[in-house]
Amino acid sequence: MSSKVTIGSDIGQARRAVEQLRMEAGIDRMKVSKAAADLLQFCTEQAKSDPFLVGIPAAINPFKEKKPCAIL
Amino acid sequence: MAADGLHENETLASLKSEAESLKGKLEEERAKLHDVEFAQLCPTLCDRLDCSLPGAFVHGILQRRILEWVAVSSSRGSSRPRDGTSISRVSCSAVHQVAERVEALGQFVMKTRRTLKGHGNKVLCMDWCKDKRRLVSSSQDGKVIVWDSFTTNKEHAVTMPCTWVMACAYAPSGCAIACGGLDNKCSVYPLTFDKNENMAAKKKSVAMHTNYLSACSFTNSDMQILTASGDGTCALWDVESGQLLQSFHGHGADVLCLDLAPSETGNTFVSGGCDKKAMVWDMRSGQCVQAFETHESDINSVRYYPSGDAFASGSDDATCRLYDLRADREVAIYSKESIIFGASSVDFSLSGRLLFAGYNDYTINVWDVLKGSRVSILFGHENRVSTLRVSPDGTAFCSGSWDHTLRVWA
Repeated sequence: MSSKVTIGSDIGQARRAVEQLRMEAGIDRMKVSKAAADLLQFCTEQAKSDPFLVGIPAAINPFKEKKPCAIL
Repeated sequence: MAADGLHENETLASLKSEAESLKGKLEEERAKLHDVEFAQLCPTLCDRLDCSLPGAFVHGILQRRILEWVAVSSSRGSSRPRDGTSISRVSCSAVHQVAERVEALGQFVMKTRRTLKGHGNKVLCMDWCKDKRRLVSSSQDGKVIVWDSFTTNKEHAVTMPCTWVMACAYAPSGCAIACGGLDNKCSVYPLTFDKNENMAAKKKSVAMHTNYLSACSFTNSDMQILTASGDGTCALWDVESGQLLQSFHGHGADVLCLDLAPSETGNTFVSGGCDKKAMVWDMRSGQCVQAFETHESDINSVRYYPSGDAFASGSDDATCRLYDLRADREVAIYSKESIIFGASSVDFSLSGRLLFAGYNDYTINVWDVLKGSRVSILFGHENRVSTLRVSPDGTAFCSGSWDHTLRVWA
């Protein structure tokens, strides 16, 4: 009797795995070239506002050292 | 067909073979949309490779040579690996191909601008506050510290009752932090500026797992927390009541990391685990919507691309990879022959052009996401880099290490 139960749960697991795979196989996919082009486009659009790419003047960047000023 | 329990012709063996054939079908479906010319399945880099190839360390060129070689040999017939050994995908780097005409990045000068010292043992995790200035970090000795990164002052400190606090997160409001680790729980501490109040007194236990907590993150508000655990599950909790709202089952081993999708309407998150899989989940239904299994070892870190259409992962197999959610496949791989230690944590710059990755060889590599090349290598930590996050406004990033310190780089 107990062996049937274990087999039952293995079957249950296998069934769930098959259902999951079926679902995953059925989703809508986009062509890789289009997807990659979209990533590229996002990147180039956002590049102007990316501090690591554009650079923020030291005066504004809270982490960079400010230039020393001399008091005349 | 019998409707109840076991179907007559449905045995464990038949289900398993159906699963295998579905997996094959999944690969085929993904490959169909791979309209970038190169061959799709390639032997591993170790197979019969001519090591005298020039430019062996330049990722882009090496790839092209290998793929030319494979295209010739596979034209002779079978598209399957001849000796049936498991193949790893030499990434077709669709992104790099598409990005050929993009200007290369110039030289970067990134230095340690702040060093946060105060932890008595390995720093395991850190998170920024939305005010772009404060951050919380947790370490092996049970201490959780909130720092002001501009001044390097410690603003709050609490000692957890357990060691190895592997996860910590800042609440969106900035008024609380969440942390947990070997205690199998995720606890929320409200942050108070009253000197007389003991932070530990107001602690609220929110999540309960049956194994260590590896990652936690608040959702869009202070009211819900998402956790990942060594028990192989992720879970969504209500902070106020401590109630379990949704659980996510599917990983075959410890879940090590998670990241929430950036957009407000997203409602998905990605998790990575010791089963080498990265899985994307629907938060409302608890269903796994997409799974990716191309890494060759534990996935230590996952992070969404700023647009939400892709995510990067860092793994013990010494590579970082980019997966596109709409194409449903890996689209780029960031690796070098000289990098042999695992990547422990990854994060993108604001535009997604740069990928910062902390490694177990004490370094941080900065990758050009589009070109696939390494832009910079940062030295400074004296032990493995365990955690890395870019600040909310993208001006700096912070790395935490087993050398007990955190560094802010800009």
